[in-house]
Amino acid sequence: MKKREILRLVALNLLQNKFKVVLTSVGIIIGAATIVMVIAIGRGGQEKVAEQFKNLNAGAIDISYEEATENKTEDAKMGNGNFGGNQNMPGGKPDSSQKNGTDNKSNQNGKSAMGENGSAPFGFGESARGGNSNDKNRMNQDKIVLSEEDVEDIETFVPDISSVSISYTTKTTVDGGELEEETSYTVAGVTSIYAEISNLNLQVGEFLTKEEEENKEKVCILGATVAKEIFGDAVSAYDSTLYIGGRAYTVNGVLKEIGSVSSGISADDAIFVPYSTGVKYITGENISPTITVIAENLNDLETTIENIETVLAESYPNAEFTITDAGSKMEAASASNDTLTTLLFAMAFIVFIVGGIGIMNVLFVSIKERTKEIGILKAIGCMKQDILLEFLLEACFISVLGGALGVLVSLGITPIVKMANIPVSLSIAGMLTAMVFAFVTGVTFGFYPAWKASCLVPVDALSEE
Amino acid sequence: MENTIIKLEKINKSYQKGKTSLHILKDIDLQVERGEFVAILGPSGSGKSTLMNIIGCMDVFDTGKYYLNGIDISKQKDKEFTGIRNKEIGFIFQKYHLISTYTVLQNIVMPLLMRGMGFAEATEQCMDTIKMLGLEERLEHKPAELSGGQQQRVAIARALVGEPALLLADEPTGALDTSSGAEVLKLFNRLHNMGHTIVMITHDLEVAKSAKRIVRIIDGELHEDEKG
Ligand SMILES: Nc1ncnc2c1ncn2[C@@H]1O[C@H](COP(=O)(O)OP(=O)(O)OP(=O)(O)O)[C@@H](O)[C@H]1O
Ligand SMILES: [Mg+2]
Repeated sequence: MKKREILRLVALNLLQNKFKVVLTSVGIIIGAATIVMVIAIGRGGQEKVAEQFKNLNAGAIDISYEEATENKTEDAKMGNGNFGGNQNMPGGKPDSSQKNGTDNKSNQNGKSAMGENGSAPFGFGESARGGNSNDKNRMNQDKIVLSEEDVEDIETFVPDISSVSISYTTKTTVDGGELEEETSYTVAGVTSIYAEISNLNLQVGEFLTKEEEENKEKVCILGATVAKEIFGDAVSAYDSTLYIGGRAYTVNGVLKEIGSVSSGISADDAIFVPYSTGVKYITGENISPTITVIAENLNDLETTIENIETVLAESYPNAEFTITDAGSKMEAASASNDTLTTLLFAMAFIVFIVGGIGIMNVLFVSIKERTKEIGILKAIGCMKQDILLEFLLEACFISVLGGALGVLVSLGITPIVKMANIPVSLSIAGMLTAMVFAFVTGVTFGFYPAWKASCLVPVDALSEE
Repeated sequence: MENTIIKLEKINKSYQKGKTSLHILKDIDLQVERGEFVAILGPSGSGKSTLMNIIGCMDVFDTGKYYLNGIDISKQKDKEFTGIRNKEIGFIFQKYHLISTYTVLQNIVMPLLMRGMGFAEATEQCMDTIKMLGLEERLEHKPAELSGGQQQRVAIARALVGEPALLLADEPTGALDTSSGAEVLKLFNRLHNMGHTIVMITHDLEVAKSAKRIVRIIDGELHEDEKG
């Protein structure tokens, strides 16, 4: 038979069986669209994770003290190992007032334990730090507040670190610029090294300096979003006056947009002031600072964390600090994203199977109905290969149509999914996968029954009703 | 050109049903010459359709010899059967067996398309037959839009267009009322007069009488009747 005539028959059959074509296609469309979306959502998640951590220093270790964590059963990371098993660690943790009573004791126990078993990583002991009278002050505070002294301790005693900074955030009312009324903003007290640690770059001006910090000057640096909101743009913001907590600050610079969070501060949305300035004029001593340590050796963050814990334990025995490193944050985030992707793939696989079975059923039934047609064609002398080619082309057409429509549908749903705040990232690979799915299921399930029917002797095919 | 269209020699056919074997056709001998109009008459279950399927190369037989227009059928493979059916035989079935999704014209030209002819050429070649059967007005209709008699005329047209050596009809009037049946039989006589070779299978003696020769099949055995 001429190929052109076979094509004519294919077209004729497709037009004649519109309903069946639509029915079969719907299964393929849904299957293909689901596959595109699943892959897009998986990729979207990965890209979001990557985006969040793009500007994060992988060696960054954040240390903070939160009262809330005090009563939790904490993991071993929190450094109680050095005091493990002694009478100061009963099942019920002491509240902060009890703790003050036991602090001295546990401190001694801790130190002697270190001395005996040599677990102190770099040989400082009582002799190294015993004379430091600040220890006692810090220990006897009602509330543990990490301070610049702790920064110095870490800088001095923890090896393999490139820099240490301390920062805190607070919410304060701000006025000035184009603001019509006082508005609450996040104000971050940071040291001059913060910009470098957090990969922050400035659009205009310069970041806070050591001198400003030492002199407690009333200067500030604005995040990109803040500058836009208060002054319209970065250039107008520069060198303007901003009223923070009622006091006038000079805007010394505006950051470039960065989109990431560092030391718990979302840089775009924050106003940065020198650490000491903030303490003096805005917060007082009522702050919960975060110390950020940049480790030099990314492969041995564990050791660095342990060393930090040991150093902090000198000053704050029994206290449990929350220590997180950027690397494990990234790992955790991408691990949970991987889990999501795996789940989505499992879902896609189920759709694949269920959709495939649906498609198979429709095609199988429709070809069963057409067995008689195949019988007639055979009886009047149609070659098997012509019959097979005709059915194969029909199946291909339905599959490709279904696959293409499925991809279109997924393009249509994408904005809706995005509106629901789900990160989606469409990809050519995803669309190709969907097309391959459509083609494979459509052709397999469309062609196999036709092949079976064409193998029948015409008498048997004809007797099929 | 062979003058003997069908030559069956001691054809036997059994169906295996579990352990028992049903002997349906028993030593069938039959010879049909070019231009003959033969009716094979027999009661239900006598093996008419089985015989027709063998003559029409749609089924295989167990033993015996079959020459169709000089071709030794027992030596052919399944694939060649298809070509033989297309070239040598025009089928007319009791239930018409038209393809319901095709138009009348598409149904009629199918045997020619299968030979590799283009649609336009095939349509042209079919026009005489279509006119003879009075189907010109119906070409774009679907089979379901036609009466039984008209559908059978379409089936006859389809059987004729390939100019086969043999027209093979199984109960061609079986689904028709008396007057449409009579019309089909009249048409067969016309075709016979035009020189076509026709083998018609029926259980109805009245129908068989319109043929020039009647062969009776009873319980799988063939008995020659009086010549008409
Ligand atoms: N595929 C088959 N398998 C088993 N037995 C069959 C098969 N086809 C036909 N038979 C048997 O062969 C016998 C003859 O069948 P056949 O169809 O040839 O009869 P028939 O003369 O055409 O009858 P009718 O006038 O009812 O069509 C019947 O007994 C039938 O049961
Ligand atoms: Mg029969």
